[in-house]
Amino acid sequence: MSAKTLPRIAFFEFTSCEGCQLTVVDTLQDHPELLNAVEIVQFREAMSERGDNYQIAFIEGSCTRPSDEAKLKEIRAKAQIVVALGACAHLGGVNAIRNRMALPEVREYVYGEKAAWFETYPARPIEAVIKVDASLPGCPIDRNEFAMAVTHLLQGRLPNLPDYPLCIECKLLENVCMYQRGKTCLGPITRAGCAAICPSYGDGCEGCRGLIPKPNWAAMKAVLREHGMTDAEIDSRLTMFLTYQTMQLEAKAAEG
Amino acid sequence: MSLRIMPKSLLKTWIKHLQSRHFKVVGPTERFGQYVFEEIHSADELVMDYPTSVLPPKKYLLPPRERLFTFNAKTMEMQPDIQAVPTVILGVHTCDMHAVAMLDKVNNTGYADQHYKARREATYLVSVECLTPCMEGSFCKSMGTLTVPENYDLHFTDLGSDYAVEVGSEKGAALLEGCSAFWEPSEADYARVDAVIGAKWQHFPYRLECDVTELPDLLALSQKSPLWDELGERCLACGMCTKVCPTCYCFDVTDEIDLNLEHGERIRQWDSCQIEKFAVVAGGHNFRSSRALRQRHRFMRKGKYQYEAFGLMGCVGCGRCAASCLVHITPVDTFNALHRLRQAAQNGSAAENTASNQEVQA
Ligand code: SF4
Ligand code: SF4
Ligand code: SF4
Ligand code: SF4
Ligand code: SF4
Repeated sequence: MSAKTLPRIAFFEFTSCEGCQLTVVDTLQDHPELLNAVEIVQFREAMSERGDNYQIAFIEGSCTRPSDEAKLKEIRAKAQIVVALGACAHLGGVNAIRNRMALPEVREYVYGEKAAWFETYPARPIEAVIKVDASLPGCPIDRNEFAMAVTHLLQGRLPNLPDYPLCIECKLLENVCMYQRGKTCLGPITRAGCAAICPSYGDGCEGCRGLIPKPNWAAMKAVLREHGMTDAEIDSRLTMFLTYQTMQLEAKAAEG
Repeated sequence: MSLRIMPKSLLKTWIKHLQSRHFKVVGPTERFGQYVFEEIHSADELVMDYPTSVLPPKKYLLPPRERLFTFNAKTMEMQPDIQAVPTVILGVHTCDMHAVAMLDKVNNTGYADQHYKARREATYLVSVECLTPCMEGSFCKSMGTLTVPENYDLHFTDLGSDYAVEVGSEKGAALLEGCSAFWEPSEADYARVDAVIGAKWQHFPYRLECDVTELPDLLALSQKSPLWDELGERCLACGMCTKVCPTCYCFDVTDEIDLNLEHGERIRQWDSCQIEKFAVVAGGHNFRSSRALRQRHRFMRKGKYQYEAFGLMGCVGCGRCAASCLVHITPVDTFNALHRLRQAAQNGSAAENTASNQEVQA
C-alpha cells in the first residue's frame, strides 16, 4: 500500500487535560504498526506539522465556550468521520461539574480578578454541537480500545464498542464485587470496555465511560442508599463524570 | 465404584503427585474474603471447606473468553484453536456437579461443541460433599442437588481427620494410581461415612414452598404474572446473576483483527440475557426490550425451558445469583411468590365457586 492510500487522520483538542491524546501516543508505542496503517496529518501532542486534509478527525475535549462552536463545525465540514475521544468530548467530562453551579462564581473562583476576560459557558459533549459518528469513552480512553476502534475504521465500519454494563466485564474477570468489600460502585449503570480497571484494583467505578443506554436510575440510587450513602453523597458521586448526562435525563423527566 | 480413605495430612502429597504427572490442579482459594477457583501451587492455598465461589468451576469447561480459531484474511486460511490441558478440579460442590451434567447435555446435543468436548474430556472432576449450607440464598435441598450426581471422577466426604474418597470412574481411579496417600477402608470407615452424610440433612432447610417438579407448570401458568413487571422495575439489568450462574451458557462471538487487517481471531465470550441488546436481531428489532421481559425469560429458562429441552432443571439452587444481586432478586423468592400468587388465584376462584354455589342453593 502506498502512503497516499492510507486514511488521513487528525487530532484536535478542546477543553481537556490532553490525557487521552497522551494515551494515543502510548498506543503508538504498543502498536507501532498503527503508523503504517494510517497517515497522521495533524497531532499537536506528537508532531509539529499541521495538515488540513484529513478524513477522520479525533476530537478530544468538551465544548465550553462560544468560540469552540465554529472550530468544531469547521472540523465537521472537513472530516468524513468524527470520533469523540474520551470522556470530555463524549460526555462533557469533569468540565461539566460546573454546570450545576453559578457560572460567574465558578469563573471568579478559577480566574480571580481576570474572570471577565474569559468567555465560558456550561460544558457540553461535542455531540451537542456537531454530529458525531463514534465515541471512545473513558477518562482517559483505553489504549486497546483505541487500537480496536482504528481497526474497525480501517475495515470501513464504525467502531463497535461495548455498551453493556461494567458488571458484565467485572464478573468475567471474577472480581469480588466492591459492594461485598464494603464499598460502592457505579458499575451497574456504567458502560463496560475499560476491563473494569477500577474494581480490578479495589475501587468502585466512578462512571467515567458514561451511562448504559437505559440505566435503572431509581434502582441504582436505592442500592447506594442501602449501602450507606446519603442523597447528597449520591448526587456528588454522580457529578464527577455524569453531570451532563444526568441533567439531560432530569430535563427529559421534567418534560414528562 | 469403590471407597478409599485419605488422611487430610496427605492431601499435600497427592497434589504434588498429580503435579508431578503434569496435571494442572485447580481448586478454591481465598480472594478478599470470597473464594475463586484458581491453579493450586501448593496444598496450603487450597480451601476445601469453602462456602461458595464467585464464578462456578464451569469457567474451566466454558471459559469466560476464549479463542475459537485464528484466520488470515488475505489467504483465507483458518486454524482451529482447541486447547485442552489435563486439569483436575478439586472441591466441586454437588450443585455445581449437577450444573456440569446440564452443560454436558447442552454441549453434546446436536452438533457437539468441539472446544467444550476437548476440555471436558481432559477435565477430572473431584467433588466434595456439602455438610452445612453454604449461604443464605442457596436452596440445593429443594432443587434435589444436595447429593452428587453420577458424573464425578472422585467424590470427597470430610470425615474430620480423613477424607472418604469415592472412586466414580476410571479417570478417577487413574488419579490415585501410584500414590500411597489412599488406603483401603475398614468396616468402621463405611459406618463413619454413613453417619456423616446421614447427619447433614437436618442442617439444610427446604426453601421452596412448592415441589421442584411443579416448577415447569407453575411457570407455564405465570406467563402473564404481574410479578415480572415488579422485578423489571427493580432490576438493574447488570447481568451479574447470569455471569455467576453455573448453568448459564449463552455466548457472543466476535472477530478481532490486527491493524494490518491480516491476522485475526474469532472470540467467544459469555453473554447475558439480562442486557439490553441480547435479543436484538437484524433490522434492530428487540424481542425483549424491557427488563420485565428479560427477567421473565431468565426464570422461564431456569424453571421450565431447560427442563423441557434437556430433562434437567436450569437452576441447581447454588444461590450465587441471589448473593450477587444488588436489588435482592432471587430464584427462591421469585418461585415462591409465583406459587403464592397462583394459590391465591386458585383460592380466589374456589371461593367464587363456593359463593356462586351457595347463591344457586339459596
Ligand atoms: S464491583 Fe462494581 S462493576 Fe464489579 S460487579 Fe460489583 S458493582 Fe458491578
Ligand atoms: S471502572 Fe468506571 S471509573 Fe474506572 S475506568 Fe472503568 S468506567 Fe471509568
Ligand atoms: S443481578 Fe439482579 S439487578 Fe442484576 S440483572 Fe440480575 S436480577 Fe437484575
Ligand atoms: S439461577 Fe441462581 S441459584 Fe440457580 S443455578 Fe443459577 S446462579 Fe445458582
Ligand atoms: S448450594 Fe448446596 S450443594 Fe451447592 S454449595 Fe451450597 S450447600 Fe453445597
